[in-house]
Amino acid sequence: METLQYSLRKLITGIPLILGVTFISFVLMVYFGPDKTYELVGKNPTQEQIDQVREQLGYDKPFFVRYGDYLGELATLDFGYSDSTGERVSRILVRTIPISLALTLPGFIIGNVLGIVLALIAGFFRGGLIDKGIMAFAVIGMSISFLIIIIASQLFFSSSYGLNIFPVRGWEVYNFADYLYYVTVPTFAIVFVSLGYNTRFYRAVIVEEMNRDHVRTARAFGTPPGALLFKNILRNAAIPIVTRIMFSIPLVVISGSLLIESYFGIPGVGKVTFDAITTGDQPILKAVVGLTAALFVVTLIATDIMYKLIDPRVSLK
Amino acid sequence: MLIARLRVAALAALVAALTAACSGERAPTTGADGKPLKVYRHSEDGSPTTLDPVQAAITYSNLVVVNVYDTLYTYKYLKRPYELKPNLATSLPTVSDDGLTYTFKIKPGVEYTDDEAFPDGKGREVVAEDFVYSIKRHFDPANRSQGSWLWTNKIVGLDDWGKNGADYAKPVEGLKALDDYTIQITLNKPFPQLPYTFAMGFSAFVPKEAVDHYGREISVNPVGSGPFKLERFSTAKAVFVPNPKFRQEPVDLEYEGYDPAIHGEFGVAAIDGRSPPFVDRMEIDFFTETASRWASFTKGSEVQWTWAPVEQVDAVVKNKQPIVLKDEYAEKYHYTGDSEPAVVYAYFNMDGVLGDDGPPEQDAKNKALRCAMVKAFDWQERNDRFYNGIGAIYPGIIPPAVPEFDPNMDRWSVTHDLEEAKQILADAGWTPETLPKLTYGHSAGVTQRQIGELTRGFMTAMGWPIEKFELKSYATFGDFNRAIKNSQLDMGGLAWQLDYPDAENVLQLFYGPYETPGSNNANYKNPEYDALYEKTSVMQPSAERTKLYRKMNQMIVDDCVQIMGLSRTRAYMWHKDVIGYPDRHILGGQWIRYVDVKTPEAGSEG
Repeated sequence: METLQYSLRKLITGIPLILGVTFISFVLMVYFGPDKTYELVGKNPTQEQIDQVREQLGYDKPFFVRYGDYLGELATLDFGYSDSTGERVSRILVRTIPISLALTLPGFIIGNVLGIVLALIAGFFRGGLIDKGIMAFAVIGMSISFLIIIIASQLFFSSSYGLNIFPVRGWEVYNFADYLYYVTVPTFAIVFVSLGYNTRFYRAVIVEEMNRDHVRTARAFGTPPGALLFKNILRNAAIPIVTRIMFSIPLVVISGSLLIESYFGIPGVGKVTFDAITTGDQPILKAVVGLTAALFVVTLIATDIMYKLIDPRVSLK
Repeated sequence: MLIARLRVAALAALVAALTAACSGERAPTTGADGKPLKVYRHSEDGSPTTLDPVQAAITYSNLVVVNVYDTLYTYKYLKRPYELKPNLATSLPTVSDDGLTYTFKIKPGVEYTDDEAFPDGKGREVVAEDFVYSIKRHFDPANRSQGSWLWTNKIVGLDDWGKNGADYAKPVEGLKALDDYTIQITLNKPFPQLPYTFAMGFSAFVPKEAVDHYGREISVNPVGSGPFKLERFSTAKAVFVPNPKFRQEPVDLEYEGYDPAIHGEFGVAAIDGRSPPFVDRMEIDFFTETASRWASFTKGSEVQWTWAPVEQVDAVVKNKQPIVLKDEYAEKYHYTGDSEPAVVYAYFNMDGVLGDDGPPEQDAKNKALRCAMVKAFDWQERNDRFYNGIGAIYPGIIPPAVPEFDPNMDRWSVTHDLEEAKQILADAGWTPETLPKLTYGHSAGVTQRQIGELTRGFMTAMGWPIEKFELKSYATFGDFNRAIKNSQLDMGGLAWQLDYPDAENVLQLFYGPYETPGSNNANYKNPEYDALYEKTSVMQPSAERTKLYRKMNQMIVDDCVQIMGLSRTRAYMWHKDVIGYPDRHILGGQWIRYVDVKTPEAGSEG
């Protein structure tokens, strides 16, 4: 009951956040976003045709009317049709979000799990050669551009210049074997890039936890290293770890991975968003921005509830 | 406990996403006879936005449209210069003596593909009324047509029909279906290019049932009678299967313009006497990243057709004019060098500081300024830096791809001479202090910026103060186009791809009444030129018309209306198991129906 009340309360307080985010993004989209009119008119347009397209796109309406329409769309989850493809936006999202999820989730999970494991090892051997080695690897991972990682991965794993065992491109997934075939190289690229950031962050959290009195006491009582790491340290460091993971979820779910999908030709929501940004497809942009904001609010609530599950001392009041 | 819950949640999310992310049913790899299916994998460097013929303006959309829908005409597969041939029409049109009435006959018995849009899901016969409906759609404002300009003010009553509510139940005087197989078009004035426009994807036959059924989403659910049926589409990939109802029309290679000396090495002779399409499946991958496209092409098991990306040309080509691949590539791939029927240029806005509608002395001075800019521009440098030096440079706006091109035209306007440029400026009294401040516009992107910088470099070398030559970048082509159409720029880099193989298509870019927001971006207004355009626009192809076209071309060169021109050349490359002769432009995607793929078991035979 307490959790339900808390969730509802948070949901209500999340509304201003959604309004704020949508308002700012709407201002950016309307005043600084591309004008689609002159891409939709033909090669030899008349002023009348230009005016008709502007009217159809709603560009001639006052700003607050357009913003009001947007909020209505967000409330009803009906964002109309894409200005580019003419397809219903909701249909596009339903088709592409699962693909992006299936694409990015393994990298997201492996990147975080591996990051935690490496952070634990680095923390345990703090200051030693292993710690320095892991941190050096993390810095390398953070220093190389995602784009370079993608191109290098494609060349190494997928092209005739390298191993040539995975596809350069595509998403023909009919079973789990296909899935592994198409997801391996993108996952490698995602893990390679995220691992450095994750490891450094989690190591900092774990090292801080290791310096606490209860850890020193447990060590003095002769707690074996494994139990010490997983029971005494990791569990107590769970709150910042969960926070980081949870707040990454909206981006994984909605935004996908723009570069990965573009380079590997995967028809996920990331590619759709990228195309929408470059072409000024406002119905899609509005949907992605609005849904990401709403998902952040839901994540915020879920994170708070998880805090309580992790640490019963946390109150939801 | 929590970790276990998180693990379960993550696994459940992954399984759910994976289930939803599956591509549906796997396509078979062998036919009913156990033989491997023939799959052709094509690639493009951009994505279609919409597949609705009324909006199929970009190359990628048109490529899909002409493979799924039918048009009245197409071009002979191999014949150059291009020659129109019937597609859904039975023959070339009958034209009245006054050139105003065109009668088209269409083939009986042609059917649309089966689709849920039709009663019982069975595609019905294609009839003349479909054509009337499809052209009317362009003049219905709700459809945001990008092709209506082709027929604006040309067909009797059609513009008014659109302005008066676009009621499809109401007839249009100049656009009639006389019976199921006869179309009659009456023009306001002769328009010799009319049949060409009916080879474009814009004019494709669309069944009303499909538009009624899918509404706006007809844009992703095409229903046509073309050689292929679209099975799956996203902006990353389109998958087609042959249209089982496509009419049996054996290829007559001689009629199509086959020349053994040109086409023999590509194995095209193997399709003679057979009815397209020849492949069991056709896939088009839409790449926006050239590194990825090249890796996929050279991989061997993915895309089979591409062109050498700019950054690869020097690694792949051993001779540029004409294009010859290095031996290691020539052994693995077929190739051709394709000079596109398009012109790259930099326009001047004649309504601005470079214009010619002020006092005569100032106009003369401005003309000298424009001519000096033309002379200071180094096309060879531009070609070398951005097109690997394989583009074709020529004076004027008429490209080599059309028969009206004049190979003997004086090349003064494309011959870089900085000293002469400086002299022209000095003779006209221009000094760095008096030179106007210019704004050169371009759409965002590294290459476009670099082209702008190169142009500015040419001008500063001539003496233009750098602070007086501003480069202005726009986020999208739409924004850049808005600035052009609203006459906000002094000049900018553009390209025009020909819609049909007739120089009228580029000469109309300088017709006064088409000033912005029309296609005359330069806002060039020359009564003599306009009179010639009006005269030639109603003339059938002839030596006399060609002469006048060339005269008009010389006029815009002499008036230094813009810095022109260059046609990009691409080194098309395709795997040796693919039989075909590509033409990505005037034929659009229509050449793909003739593609065949050799399989180890089946060879090239269908």
